[in-house]
Amino acid sequence: MTELIISQVVNGLVLGFLYVLIAIGLSIIFGMLGIVNFAHGVYFALGAYFALTLRDSLGPWAIVLAPLGVGVVGIVIEMTLMRPLYGKEPLLGLFMTFGIALFIEELIRTIWGAAGHPFNPPGWLSGFIVWGPVLVTKYRLFVLVVTVMILIALWLFLQGTRYGRIIRAGSRDPEMVSMLGINLKRVFTAVFGLGTAVAGIAGVLAAPLWSVVPSMSEAAIMPAFVVVTIGGLGSFGGAVISGLLVGISVALSIQFWPAASTAVMYALMILILLVRPRGLLGESWERFE
Amino acid sequence: MTKTTSNGFGISRRTLLAGATFGAAQIASPFVITARAAESIKIGLLLPKSGTYAVQGEIGQHGAQIAIDDFGGKVLDRPIQLVWLDESTPQATQQNMRKLLEEEKVVAVQGGVSSGDVLAIMPVAERAKTLLMATGPNATEITGKNCSKYTFRVDLPNKVTVNSVYPLLKEHGKKWYFVVASYAWGIDAYNQMKEVVVKDGGNVVGYDQAPLGTTDFSSYLLKVRQAKPDVIYVGLGGTDLTNFLKQMKEIGLTNQMALSAPIVNDTDLWSAGPDAAFGVYPKIWNYTGSHMTKRSTDFVEAFKKKYNQPPEAEGWQDWFGMTSILTAIKETKSTDSAKLVGFLEEHKFDGYKDAPIFFRNFDHQLVQPLLVAQVKDKISDKYDYFDIKSQYPNDSATLDAAYGSQAEIGCTFKT
Repeated sequence: MTELIISQVVNGLVLGFLYVLIAIGLSIIFGMLGIVNFAHGVYFALGAYFALTLRDSLGPWAIVLAPLGVGVVGIVIEMTLMRPLYGKEPLLGLFMTFGIALFIEELIRTIWGAAGHPFNPPGWLSGFIVWGPVLVTKYRLFVLVVTVMILIALWLFLQGTRYGRIIRAGSRDPEMVSMLGINLKRVFTAVFGLGTAVAGIAGVLAAPLWSVVPSMSEAAIMPAFVVVTIGGLGSFGGAVISGLLVGISVALSIQFWPAASTAVMYALMILILLVRPRGLLGESWERFE
Repeated sequence: MTKTTSNGFGISRRTLLAGATFGAAQIASPFVITARAAESIKIGLLLPKSGTYAVQGEIGQHGAQIAIDDFGGKVLDRPIQLVWLDESTPQATQQNMRKLLEEEKVVAVQGGVSSGDVLAIMPVAERAKTLLMATGPNATEITGKNCSKYTFRVDLPNKVTVNSVYPLLKEHGKKWYFVVASYAWGIDAYNQMKEVVVKDGGNVVGYDQAPLGTTDFSSYLLKVRQAKPDVIYVGLGGTDLTNFLKQMKEIGLTNQMALSAPIVNDTDLWSAGPDAAFGVYPKIWNYTGSHMTKRSTDFVEAFKKKYNQPPEAEGWQDWFGMTSILTAIKETKSTDSAKLVGFLEEHKFDGYKDAPIFFRNFDHQLVQPLLVAQVKDKISDKYDYFDIKSQYPNDSATLDAAYGSQAEIGCTFKT
């Protein structure tokens, strides 16, 4: 039994990294722009669909170009649809992103059809590694490594560079930053593009694991929201810890009470919000208090 | 100079207005008259537009549309109008069912991929005394203990399908693992198959319920791998089955054990891809094989022409369901559900399968031969995944008996 538990915990951890990857983009966009982005799932789906279209002509380059394409879509949407809503009633932004989600999902259905598309991992990533009771597939290990690399890169960017400092300052006090002569509009657009591109990466990487269907966005959006809420809205570290926590809880519930494996994620969220309404590492934020 | 209200063409404004009104009336009136003479016959469709079974929903709608096209878009000289609302959860489907009946005033409703949703709308159809053609659910109780006078079921009950594949599966060994969706259909499939397995001396080494819409089965598969079963029976459909097969492939379990399910939709395997697809399944219909009749072949051609791909099982089900509703309306010259029910209880539909097929009058189950289909070893076509191993039952004389006698079924209609 101990062996099974160890194997489930490791499996849950690895799955957790995928949840983290899906949630980061949502966390960035909320943390920096204060937008609750209901359309996050469709950027995830677009990543998979762009890769699907590009892979025949571009091969491995599709994996790089698909998220960039999603980022461009994100930038266009930010400039045309999101920007007019900054500083207005937050509910408007919520409705807007919800509308975008429905629209893009239908668009995907129209362009690529309702049926799913096969999507295999590349040959060199197929197979798995067994170490005692632990079994990890090479592909999931790859996803884990990519996620960690993205997290480190984002952290370095936000903490260590001038742009990162502008973004962080802009998210807290946009007026002050504007007065310093910085074009915040452009910064916000870039952040939105970054967040959606990361969602696109998650979509590309999830495509060989999960079904590539228009409704794949639904499969991504709920865990992403749960992870971000548990971790504390806008907190990077919180999203990582909570993603792993959700992964492990889901895996262990499948071992002992599989029918409840979806519910366990929400139960965890309720529990944490009761004890710490701000989420695990959520900071107090004057804009939202 | 006298002041006139001329507009430069020498026509007064009043004349112009009168003329315009008359002209408009001329254009509009024939339309009004036609519309009154041939008010459309509305038929409701409840199939998923999103979620786990969204693909089945779309293909089902296509199938129903082909049936309407077969009738030239008209029945009783009135245009047929299909009103498609979403089938998502039992509660939402029930609401849409009410909307179809109360607001859209449909004469009959067709659909239901999920047994849970169908069980929720059956009482609504019964109260409204409106025909419900349940095309896609498999839970045994729909034409068993929960049967209804106004519900007819096209798809196969789990109780029948388990018997069709069991002989092939038992050759692989006695250790069985079950992973099923945690609602009416999956749980019923487990109960039906377990009964057959245990009675024959097999044992259940694992039984897991998975919530509908599970994306990641890796933790389930670790348990399966540990248990080393000879046969895995998965009560999963839609994207759930696709995900399961893809992830089996990921940890090298593809073809390592026999795999079957209570029923299968081609689309779920198309979306998993040829490398991940395997197993032997009961199937209501397949677009290739020697069982094809002239009528079915015509259907395939019409479907391919209109939608650029062959129809899968769901397409046939909804094509047949809609054909049977329209045939009943045409033959009874009525849209009264009581008359349609009476017709469907007696009519034999010839030419759709190898043997004439019919709805039984005591439980409203469509009695029909089914296929035992195995995924090809080598799949070279994008759509052609199955070899048909046999038909069940193999003798059409035992067809009725295969679906259980009235006493075994335990269905009593409320009067």
